[in-house]
Amino acid sequence: MISGLKASSPVMTSYAALGAACGVVLFDAGFSLGEIFLMSLLVYAGAAQFLAASLVVLGASTASIILMVFFLNLRHLLMGVSLSGFLKKQSLGYLGLFSHTLTDESFGINYSRFRDGKWTPREALLISLFNYASWVSSTVAGGLIGSQFPIDTLIMSYALIAMFLCMMVMQFVSKAHVAAALVSGIATIILTIWLQHNIALVLGAVIASFAGYLLDENSPDLKGSE
Amino acid sequence: MPDRPLILIMGMALVTFIPRFIPLLLFSKLEVSPAIRRWLTFVPVSVFAALIASDIFFWQGEFSLNPVLNLSLFPSALVLLTALKTRSLLWSMTVGVTVMALLSVI
Repeated sequence: MISGLKASSPVMTSYAALGAACGVVLFDAGFSLGEIFLMSLLVYAGAAQFLAASLVVLGASTASIILMVFFLNLRHLLMGVSLSGFLKKQSLGYLGLFSHTLTDESFGINYSRFRDGKWTPREALLISLFNYASWVSSTVAGGLIGSQFPIDTLIMSYALIAMFLCMMVMQFVSKAHVAAALVSGIATIILTIWLQHNIALVLGAVIASFAGYLLDENSPDLKGSE
Repeated sequence: MPDRPLILIMGMALVTFIPRFIPLLLFSKLEVSPAIRRWLTFVPVSVFAALIASDIFFWQGEFSLNPVLNLSLFPSALVLLTALKTRSLLWSMTVGVTVMALLSVI
């Protein structure tokens, strides 16, 4: 219990800050405190919740917000695939709770510990639950703050872009991955200008993921060695 | 204001839970081909880059590479440098929000 708290404290601290910012932005987008609580409890995905707030402000439809959240969450597929090897023989209930509380950060902590051995599924779940508690309580606190003080959300919502930039950089594990990011950016810009539709984003990302894969496969120079 | 907040929250919960749960459910029993596994490593970086590009290179709906007209370019460059150096979400967001706040004061 104590060791779990120790291992998760850096993430819990950053979740408290990010969660508060997210709560402010959600409240400003028009969600009530109860809805913020429910969203953090049931969705529990920081990037998705920030994205939902900014899309609601832009007047996007419910269906298109859900679709964008889905694409944003596709990255979790990979985390599940990577962790699955360490979680064989776990019950359905365990897998359900563990996957609900799987985030970029809890994946980061747990994956490296599992890989180094000396880590049990129980400890992994405990860490995830601590982070979860921190996120849910801090988003509600953020909503409360937002309801009491006027805060410029144009600036706060820029926090989302900063978050995505950092999450992109964390994925730069080889030159081919950096190349995929460049292809994705350029393809998305060209397609957005050409199609004048949000679907450009999805197309750009799909094209770039295959481009990255092919670059990785074909050119030995681009193979990541660092 | 969200149109139907409860439907939105339920929908978001569903599309968040499925990609988290399915691989754990399936692949704790099955093996994934290395090719698919490798392709999957390119999905997140591509999704983030697309989200970022569609936001920072367009200012009020217009494509712009001019940092004087497009106010998100300069903060984004600083955030990118911060992220490359620290790889910390908290630092990146602090730098981004602070620079954006300073720019909006000027």
